[in-house]
Amino acid sequence: MTEVVIIGAGIHPFGRFDKSAEEIGSFAARAALQDAGVAWADVQASYLSRMYLPATSGARILRRLGGTDMPIVDVEAACASGGAALHQALLAIRSGECEVVMVLGAEKMPRGFMDPRMIYADWQIEMGMSLNPAYWSMRAMRHMHEFGTTELQIAKIAYKNHKNSVHNPNAMYQKAFSLEEILNSPLVCDPIRRLEICAPDDGAAAVVVASADFARRIGARKPIRIAACVHTIARYSADFRCPADSMSATAHNDGPTEVTAAKAYEKAGLGASDINCFEVQDTDAFCELEIYEELQLCPLGEGGRLIDEGVTDITGKHPVNMSGGLISKGEPVGASHLGQVVELVTQLRGEAGPRQVDGAKVGLGHVLGAGGNCAVTILQR
Amino acid sequence: MSGRRAVRDGLLVGNLETGEEVALAGTGCRICGEVTLGQNRLCPNCGGEEVEPLALSAKGKVWTYTVVRYPPPGDYKGADPFRPFALGLVELPDGLRVLAPLSCAPEQVRIGMDVVFQPRVRPDGVIQFEYAPAGEEAAQ
Repeated sequence: MTEVVIIGAGIHPFGRFDKSAEEIGSFAARAALQDAGVAWADVQASYLSRMYLPATSGARILRRLGGTDMPIVDVEAACASGGAALHQALLAIRSGECEVVMVLGAEKMPRGFMDPRMIYADWQIEMGMSLNPAYWSMRAMRHMHEFGTTELQIAKIAYKNHKNSVHNPNAMYQKAFSLEEILNSPLVCDPIRRLEICAPDDGAAAVVVASADFARRIGARKPIRIAACVHTIARYSADFRCPADSMSATAHNDGPTEVTAAKAYEKAGLGASDINCFEVQDTDAFCELEIYEELQLCPLGEGGRLIDEGVTDITGKHPVNMSGGLISKGEPVGASHLGQVVELVTQLRGEAGPRQVDGAKVGLGHVLGAGGNCAVTILQR
Repeated sequence: MSGRRAVRDGLLVGNLETGEEVALAGTGCRICGEVTLGQNRLCPNCGGEEVEPLALSAKGKVWTYTVVRYPPPGDYKGADPFRPFALGLVELPDGLRVLAPLSCAPEQVRIGMDVVFQPRVRPDGVIQFEYAPAGEEAAQ
């Protein structure tokens, strides 16, 4: 099978800017091209990952790089949009149709809770069931009930991610908070608090993806291999997450992260213990704790122990969210996974500066959201 | 005619005008056995067409919950001015869990608490639903 590599990565900071999607998107795409040492005219297809931007935003953004007749396709799969777009690039290259593909994630989102009409039916909105964090919070309450996970353990995850963000100039919030500040911040949906939750914002991130042959021909600098890129949606009733109105009490299907990660590990021929650094969907701090278990970093119910033992600290055995995570960067939905991929490429190249994970060779990016859309990408140097 | 209607078509059974025997509608699949919320023509699990309409049990237990502390975005029809409320995933003996507001004070809610289905008629004539504490819980 054709080996596929990332030869260039670029990012526009995540945050709130008085700039158009065209501006921030083309900024990230240009940065990725420059990093790859590839001309726009050499790119044969492009995919834009986005959820909230209008129709044909990919073409609107990327035309700024110069005239082209290549196919430019917008891809949407909620929080996993970036994984779905990267997967399309992988397929395009593996099919032999393309040698060089641009994958861009870009988003501009208003402040506050996301527009519920994108996801929910009218009756759910009318009954007060349109607050995305409520769904994650109910999972947290159940986990605390079943396994004794504590509010302090959840707060420790937010503490870690905020602390990591101080070294990430591309994060929206680059500020450390004490555990007391986190635990004293207002509850949004019990038990999740304001400083434990991510906010929607603006941002863009891009990678230039190529066949390994192409990378060799041009003498690409530090190409990073895509060992796996898998996108799935949750099996029947496997995941209680927005906009679900009910779930089965009798079906016992594996959750979307478990299924996606298992597929990705198999494709990569690797397991969780082989992975040196992770960027995962910390929509809220509990979500990251649950993902430790679902990515097989620890057995079910022991996510709290993992954070207590510092395993996922930047100096731990399996650092998670070195970038500060979505809690610090914000979640520009379409750009979030590409942002993770750019962070992992930087880590695997050994260029992450003060947030560098020593000797990182393999990294995993994970996103999960509405409809149980989940994507896992494993990168290897 | 008061023109009462369910908050969503196919979500409630019973006499919506009088309020008699109003219950949540469900669908049972004769192939895979799954019971799902609302009237469904196809089973959401197996896609089978051999489904039968059901009325779901009124009684259930809180499987998990949260307290919504901020006004939900969009056209929320709850208390105005907004006050925090508990949202629960209620497990019914029929084999499914249903998401709904809980009518009691948020501090009163516990996982495992017995609750009972309650239709609620809004001023606009739309019937939505919630769960209220049942049995000993209600007496507290």
